[in-house]
Amino acid sequence: MGGRITTDLIRGHTDTIILNILRQGDSYGYEIYKTIIALSGQQYELKEATLYSAFRRLEHDDLIASYWGDESQGGRRKYYRITEKGRENYEQNRKDWRFAKDILDKLIEGGLENVEK
Amino acid sequence: MLKSDSPLNKKINDYLDHLFSGVGASQQLFDLKEELATNLKEKTQDIKARGLDDDQAFREAVISMGDLGGLVDDMRRLGQDTARQTVYTSMSARISTAGIVIGVLLILFGLFTSAMLYFMRGSGVEVAGAGIFVVAGGALVTYSVLTRESRNKYAMNKVRAALYAISVGLLLFSLFTGLVTRYATGEMFIAIASVMIFFLAGTGLFLALALTGTDRRK
Repeated sequence: MGGRITTDLIRGHTDTIILNILRQGDSYGYEIYKTIIALSGQQYELKEATLYSAFRRLEHDDLIASYWGDESQGGRRKYYRITEKGRENYEQNRKDWRFAKDILDKLIEGGLENVEK
Repeated sequence: MLKSDSPLNKKINDYLDHLFSGVGASQQLFDLKEELATNLKEKTQDIKARGLDDDQAFREAVISMGDLGGLVDDMRRLGQDTARQTVYTSMSARISTAGIVIGVLLILFGLFTSAMLYFMRGSGVEVAGAGIFVVAGGALVTYSVLTRESRNKYAMNKVRAALYAISVGLLLFSLFTGLVTRYATGEMFIAIASVMIFFLAGTGLFLALALTGTDRRK
């Protein structure tokens, strides 16, 4: 791996990452954790400690809701699903991200030769 | 929680109990522990599939969870009120129980003595005099009942409960004084005058308390 993602950089996006997974189907803690690793192409791991804190925050803000699954051999799973408010929040975050990505790209890599002052 | 039929379940539950030890109980903590236990078990099983034994797999699963300190703090905040309350409850519940028992006994003692003196053809002052036990018992029972936590009410704070007890004590004391004065002097107007002072003080205090109370319903 040539680069790394600092915690600072990912922090503002944890919620959106979780919402992106839940908008595509209900899921539970460990599965969401694995999905994030898979989505990143095995390049990034979001710690479960971070995830559980995020679940609590998102649920408190009514962006996601939770329910208990059936008892399996390992105990009950706590599933999360996205709410309508969560979907709206996700769409807004995605727009913001596209905008920011574009601008940041220019700011971080842009050469000064073509800039009109 | 998990059925503790396997050593791994026990290990996970022990770990979580240890992690959240000292955190006051709350519904949220109970739920979080179950959520973490289920996920931790599945993760351990996945790691085991890579060829590690129970112990190693469990340890690796825990380490790779990251720092759960934030969650523990969250839970501690939630449990704090409950924890403080339980300490308060277990200690003050016993005091309250003792207070009610002693208070009721005092009231009964006063009533019986009074009745006994009456049938012994004691003077009116003697019969009414035994009522002082009813006054003391009434105040004590008031305090004890109010500082008691019940299923649907929180305990009242001690100062406020003591003030209530004083107001009830004053009201009972005013009746007591009235009767004693009545029999001692034989004059009703003196009796009413002495009733008045304590009765007014008691009523004033009682009203002030009743009108400023906070809701103790759960």
